[in-house]
Amino acid sequence: MATETSTSSSESGRAGLKRNAKYYILSYPLAWLVFVFLVPLGMLFMFSFWVHVPGTGYEPGFTLENYTRFFTSIYVDQLWVTLELALVTALASLALGYPLAYYLARIDRPVLRNVLLITIVSSLWITYVIRAYAWQVILASRGILSSLGVATGVLETHQAFYPGYWGLVVGMVYVFLPFMVLSLYSSIRNLDGELLEASKNLGAGPLRTFRKVTLPLTKNGIASGTSLVFILALGSYVLPRLLGTPAQRTLPVLIEQQVMSESNYPFGAAMSIMLILVMLLFLWAIVRIANVSAANIGAGDALSDDDEPAVSASSGLSSVRGLLGSASAAVGLTAVYDRVTSTLSDVVASVDSGTRESVIGATFRAYVAAVMVFIGAPLAIIVAVSFTPEEFLTFPPGGFSMRWYVEFFTNPAWVRSLVNSLTIAAGAALLATSIGGILAFTLDRFDYRFGALIGMFGVMPILVPPVIIAVAFLVFFLQIGLTGSRVGIAVAHGIFYAPLPFILITQGLGELDRTYEEAAMNLGASPVRTIRTVTYPLLRANVVSGALFAFILSLNEYIIAWLLSLFLVKTIPIQIFNQLRYSYPPTIAAASTVFILLTVVVMTAIDRLSGGIWE
Amino acid sequence: MSGISLKGISKRYSDEVLAVDDIDLEIESGEFVTLVGPSGCGKTTTLRTIAGFEKPTAGEVHIGGKNVTDAPPYERNTGMVFQDFALFPHLTVHENVAYGMEADGGYTDEEIDSRVQEMLELVELPDTADRKPAQLSGGQQQRIALARALAPKPDALLLDEPLASLDKKLREQMQVELRRIQQEVGITTVFVTHNQEEALTMSDRLAVMNGGKFEQVGPPGDVYDEPETRFVADFIGTANIFDGTVTESADGVASVDCGDVTVLSAARADTAVGDAVSVVARPERFEFDSATADGGATDGRNVFEGEVTFRRHLGSSVEYRVETSDEREIVVVRKSGLDEHEPGDQVTVSVDADNCRLVST
Repeated sequence: MATETSTSSSESGRAGLKRNAKYYILSYPLAWLVFVFLVPLGMLFMFSFWVHVPGTGYEPGFTLENYTRFFTSIYVDQLWVTLELALVTALASLALGYPLAYYLARIDRPVLRNVLLITIVSSLWITYVIRAYAWQVILASRGILSSLGVATGVLETHQAFYPGYWGLVVGMVYVFLPFMVLSLYSSIRNLDGELLEASKNLGAGPLRTFRKVTLPLTKNGIASGTSLVFILALGSYVLPRLLGTPAQRTLPVLIEQQVMSESNYPFGAAMSIMLILVMLLFLWAIVRIANVSAANIGAGDALSDDDEPAVSASSGLSSVRGLLGSASAAVGLTAVYDRVTSTLSDVVASVDSGTRESVIGATFRAYVAAVMVFIGAPLAIIVAVSFTPEEFLTFPPGGFSMRWYVEFFTNPAWVRSLVNSLTIAAGAALLATSIGGILAFTLDRFDYRFGALIGMFGVMPILVPPVIIAVAFLVFFLQIGLTGSRVGIAVAHGIFYAPLPFILITQGLGELDRTYEEAAMNLGASPVRTIRTVTYPLLRANVVSGALFAFILSLNEYIIAWLLSLFLVKTIPIQIFNQLRYSYPPTIAAASTVFILLTVVVMTAIDRLSGGIWE
Repeated sequence: MSGISLKGISKRYSDEVLAVDDIDLEIESGEFVTLVGPSGCGKTTTLRTIAGFEKPTAGEVHIGGKNVTDAPPYERNTGMVFQDFALFPHLTVHENVAYGMEADGGYTDEEIDSRVQEMLELVELPDTADRKPAQLSGGQQQRIALARALAPKPDALLLDEPLASLDKKLREQMQVELRRIQQEVGITTVFVTHNQEEALTMSDRLAVMNGGKFEQVGPPGDVYDEPETRFVADFIGTANIFDGTVTESADGVASVDCGDVTVLSAARADTAVGDAVSVVARPERFEFDSATADGGATDGRNVFEGEVTFRRHLGSSVEYRVETSDEREIVVVRKSGLDEHEPGDQVTVSVDADNCRLVST
């Protein structure tokens, strides 16, 4: 009797602890996300209604002035500029990215595919600052393009291709193309090759097969890739800042200016809220019209024969001035595409199919090669010019010298920046992995009432444009005194990039066969021992990849670090950016090369770890 | 003494789903008991309840005389072999087999090493210690899984369809092997399978499960020859089943009206006129008769006329399907070499009433 009571009470005690334990564990990631992500965003919203006091900053209050100022000034015009730029970038990326993605998904040469994918994926993580810098080197007066033009006689005198609209578009497409290619790649990979064979077997030529089978079946990849690039381009700060003229000051540039130069936090906050609203509107529109527009993209015929879907698709956005022009340009593009393909069909129909296939194949490969050069060359050029022995950047470099590397590793300012970058990234990676990992684990193992909602919450930070999260963190950190410190930047990066380990570890847990854990427990291993000896080792690739992703992204992040540094902390991207404002010492190229190398090494490690994550 | 007893075990997943419905089972020390039944019958849930992965809604589990109903899996000392083996892919064979002893903590490194070697020899794979599971064939993985389960000297061995993922030839080989090892170690074993042939060939006793309950528990011969229910007769082996109503029961023979035909069967003590029953006749109990008779019941034999519609060789025997004039199909199995018939032949088949059995419907 007595024993029975004691057993049952100890039972309920253990059960009670377990029941609470699941909330204790969840509270760790949740506390971070609520107090250091939701609260800053809430404060940003609140700030947008506060009153700007010229000279001293801001004071609490309630005014709509910040919003009315936005709509009644030139700022609203810059919103259209921002939207147009994002749209042009997205469409150009699609046109360049699709053939490349198709090639990558369909080639039967794993080594070549891996090399190309690693190149594309590696360039993806390298800071926008270095990549914008590469295009400055290419597009500047007496830059590579201009020098080539003069040398070949195409240009009479040296000419600058930047700053300016098209230089900016080229730079934007360059940095966002990898996202497009990867979206399309996975979508085309999922396409069953037998469908294409079936189409050919039924007598459809390559172009017809592409139009009737491949394109419709990959429309999801097209829609998601285009949306992703559009959203990313909308939030882009570094490229418009470094490659554009004042006419191309996008909303993120204006927000940074208000915060850092004008100290007008309330107006910066109001513009941030406007940018978020525009993005939400876009996402809503995409969801509403996704089927219609995807169908349009899928069937070029339908669009030219019957323009009704096009009208309904654009009506959601019709109030957006400037977009219409681009949209009609897009429709024009489709028409051109149709005409070109039909002409092509006529031409190719007149020759025999063997020649036809080889001509199409050769054109296709040449196009793919050109796009790969576009992706790979800029960084290769940076690496090349870093070895110049001269005081100024020249191309081709007039010799070989390591002097700028010596300069980089001996100059205290650069070394301090490198140390800052590495320590911040390490701290951010640890924080992001602890938040993302624990959140993933608790959501996988326990039932919570709002589990799905918490899961969505876990991926939210990465969806907020960096410039906005930067302003939110800034107003928050100003209150708690974390600005201008490495800790503050590491915390901000840790929260911002927590979704990566979260997603990777969630995925790993989803694929983990629970029988292994049951086998361990059956063999007498306690839950803690099971996690240590079975669960963690089986998840290690995901955990370490997640941490490395967070590390590499933090390492390369500019805008959040810049706003939170309050001029006191310099990371490598900040240091490079600052140097670009004044001069072009080749040290920048050396610093960039070191950084590129670091990024490639980490990326390769991630790839090794997971046995080819892009498969 | 390390038997297992299940006392009034029920497992309810939701209001609608009662996976296991109040079952009792006493398994003796060293006994090999098979839980067999169709998918969803509750056999795996029962096994997982013994292992501690499922907590019963009602009832108690005792292992070795100890009530372990509330004990977590890692405090039960059972050794389980999983359907897909669940060998830890990141550990070598040696580390896999040593895992349970290391978790136990009561062994020295030397003891572990020698025990691992002993286990590998038991399963006849002494040279695989340094390999990873992925480098082993399916049959080897299954032996290693068995070695891993036995290494920490469990009180009971639990086998969850461990042969299902092997091909037929290997499966038959492993049936013998598994039984040999089980008897050598003398360990109490619960084996779960949906394969009735496995159940018949391997067990000391088998428990046929259906709808969360035991239909019948007993030695393989008894279950095959003396099924208690129509379900058992149908599930274990092949059976010719005639459903009907008892019209007469005298001198140990019952007459069962099955609509177009009356079938005679050995009566049972509790047989009463008016009972709805099924008559079960195993295919190998039938004989071909040379003389044509009237059909139906004569002289304590059930005689059927019909046409051979199908014939297939089973190796040592031949199976015939005979369609009678009232469109019943009777399966007959004869030793090969005896009275061969071709499809299309008109034949008479008969079975003695004593070789028929009454079961509840």
